[in-house]
Amino acid sequence: MNLISQALAKDLNLDKALGIFRVLDDQGVPDESLEPKLSKDFLLKIYEYMVRTRILDEWLLKLQRMGKVAIHAPNKGQEATMIGAALALREQDWMFPSYRELGALLVRGMSEEEIIDRAMANADDPLKGSDFAIYGSRDKKIVPAPVPVGNQIPHAVGFALAAKIMGDNIVVLTFFGDGATSRGDFHFGLNFAGLFKPPVVFVIQNNQWAISLPVRKQTAAPTLAVKGVAYGVPSIRVDGNDVLAVYSIAKEAVDKASSGEGPTLIESLTYRLGPHTTADDPRRYRSDEEVKRYEAKDPIPRFRRYLMYRGVLNEDLDREIWGRWRDYIETVVRRCLSKPELPEEVIFEDVYSEMPWNLREQLEEFRESLRVMKSLGLRVE
Amino acid sequence: MARIEKVKLPDIGEGIAEGEIVRWLVKKGDRVKQFQPLVEVLTDKANVEIPSPVSGRVVRFLASEGERVSVGSPIVEIELEGEAVEPEERAGSAEEVREGVSPELGEKVEVKKEERRVVVRAPPSVRKLARDLGIDLAKVKGTGPGGVITRDDVLRYAQAQQGAQAQATARAAEAEKIQVEAVEKPKAQTVKVEAAEQAVERIPLRGIRKIMAERMALAKSRIPHAYIVEEVDVTDLLSLRDHLAKYAEGKGIRLTILPFIVKAVVKALKEYPLLNSSLDEDRNEIVVKKYYNIGIAVDTEMGLVVPNIKNADRKGLFEIARDISMLASKARSGKLDLSDVRDGTFTITNIGSIGTVMGMPVINPPEVAILGVHRVVDKPVYIDGELKPRKVVNLSLSFDHRVIEGAYAARFLNLVKRYLEDPILLVVSDNELKV
Repeated sequence: MNLISQALAKDLNLDKALGIFRVLDDQGVPDESLEPKLSKDFLLKIYEYMVRTRILDEWLLKLQRMGKVAIHAPNKGQEATMIGAALALREQDWMFPSYRELGALLVRGMSEEEIIDRAMANADDPLKGSDFAIYGSRDKKIVPAPVPVGNQIPHAVGFALAAKIMGDNIVVLTFFGDGATSRGDFHFGLNFAGLFKPPVVFVIQNNQWAISLPVRKQTAAPTLAVKGVAYGVPSIRVDGNDVLAVYSIAKEAVDKASSGEGPTLIESLTYRLGPHTTADDPRRYRSDEEVKRYEAKDPIPRFRRYLMYRGVLNEDLDREIWGRWRDYIETVVRRCLSKPELPEEVIFEDVYSEMPWNLREQLEEFRESLRVMKSLGLRVE
Repeated sequence: MARIEKVKLPDIGEGIAEGEIVRWLVKKGDRVKQFQPLVEVLTDKANVEIPSPVSGRVVRFLASEGERVSVGSPIVEIELEGEAVEPEERAGSAEEVREGVSPELGEKVEVKKEERRVVVRAPPSVRKLARDLGIDLAKVKGTGPGGVITRDDVLRYAQAQQGAQAQATARAAEAEKIQVEAVEKPKAQTVKVEAAEQAVERIPLRGIRKIMAERMALAKSRIPHAYIVEEVDVTDLLSLRDHLAKYAEGKGIRLTILPFIVKAVVKALKEYPLLNSSLDEDRNEIVVKKYYNIGIAVDTEMGLVVPNIKNADRKGLFEIARDISMLASKARSGKLDLSDVRDGTFTITNIGSIGTVMGMPVINPPEVAILGVHRVVDKPVYIDGELKPRKVVNLSLSFDHRVIEGAYAARFLNLVKRYLEDPILLVVSDNELKV
């Protein structure tokens, strides 16, 4: 019995898939043997990304409640995972996010303004009002997040495999939630990754809830990371509210992938403090007490305590950082609110290179209908 | 005057149609800042806090806690910051008086209950439209399958009501003054609306008529029109026409003076090419066309259409005459092809055939000029100091003053006149007349 478990642990790193890797304890005190050696500037940069993500997330929620944004999937509580993992990528690497990775978009260089324009579908919206609130960017090497859960997993594997075949030195990182590990796409993707060893890093944002379904009602597997082990993909569980733990492991995984050693699966244990989306009410399926318990593990205060412990941050600097980003993002929000709306006609554009006659006819009728509505003093929405 | 913003229940996404006011998070008289939480609302999906879209002072609530309100309906009035109400203004306002008699809130709830009893069949988009227009769907007759109310039904009803309202307002205004204190008012207006509906016929603007309406509106709103008129002695032209008509008849062609005018116009356009152009506003360029497709306005039962004679500069007189009668008959039987009406470069409208002596035609965009040909009349004309009976026709030219100056247009029209008064010149090849 003992021999079997030892052999399993040795060959498949099962212990890693069952345990939890963490650098900081709940109070933010580091385990010095695991603490990464990072510069003061870099540590503050991580913190600022977390602050920006939190503020931007609050704004998107508020704008949705004002009817300015159609839908938003709140990020609160998961900042450490998305930022820690995205920071491990190099410029040439690609990211296949899901729809809850605002912080990762910021890390890749997307601006708050671009994100809010997109979410509000105003005149500057690069997607002209089409599609879900999150989008990709070829320059920043971010692939648009699909709405169906987990679709991006086989895409990321295929992309990485192509890069490997073509000899490009890139790593592909994909984010998805715990719910995605119950879908076929996860299994197809992992099977290929185990077999062909492309340079791909899987990051499971295990936030405990697939909308209203808890992890324990989704799978009988002891952890999600062991699913990766089954496919022969080295897998590890990390404390997803410990940004240093996520960053260290993701960095190692990216380095490993870029040196030809194949894929890694990271199960990042975190907690979604907000609703699944703006159309969800989590109070209907989980207790306030549970949420309170996790609020105490909020990754931002935890990292702040670490920064103060290390003398990188003090109260004044902390206030300055929050104040600066609050002011900045509010200015951006006001600017985005003052931008004109998209002209209604855009729904006819960008399908055919030349508009066919029947669409042209519909466009004419649509314009006429708009004119009538406007002549009656109606606001067209 | 103070500006009061009626804050509406926002569209909070994913098919939410209404919400219940759970709790107001502000009190009457409170100052609120933009983005500050205003009210807690329970929708089918979630309990949410709605932030204030504006900064200002809470004047009054239009929905009470526990009430269900639909998306888009006003829930609170906020007096915008820095735009305080003058106290004396407020005291005298009619609204205040009415508020005293019957609190709007109570009234509103009652009306709603009444509406709900009537079964109305209409899709959500139509319901929203009706709500925005303040129309009670129970009063709208549905013409869709099974009596479903369509969007058109609502728009028609709204237009009828708007027209009737204008008439009714004057009379109603008198009555209303006396009725300020009265509680029930809006009913009287509805009766008048129905009466007015019977007094008019509504012709749907469709097809050619609709296109005509749009193009003419575009032309008149976009193009700065300028006009010039010339009187042309066509006595000699008519005798030439009579002479040639015999030859034409043998070929089954009815020869009018119009083909001559087409010929004269084309020749003159070659000398004054700017009149055969269009204006590319996006690129700020005048596009001068090196082909001459002369449009002929044709009056049909369906409306005005303008098919054009393609490459009129390369066609003989009879050929042009044949094209004109063919295009006219195609137009009247509704058999024109798209190619017949596309790519025109200059238009001639022969209103004279119906009988006017003067008129200013509207340019047919994207062209820059149109020539109106009026009725040929017998007129005394001085020729060498002697009055002689002559056949005279007025030609009016409307042109786009952004592209063409008056002098240029006048020179063009003079040349057309010269060709028509001395039609033998039409046989002289282009540019030979240039001095």
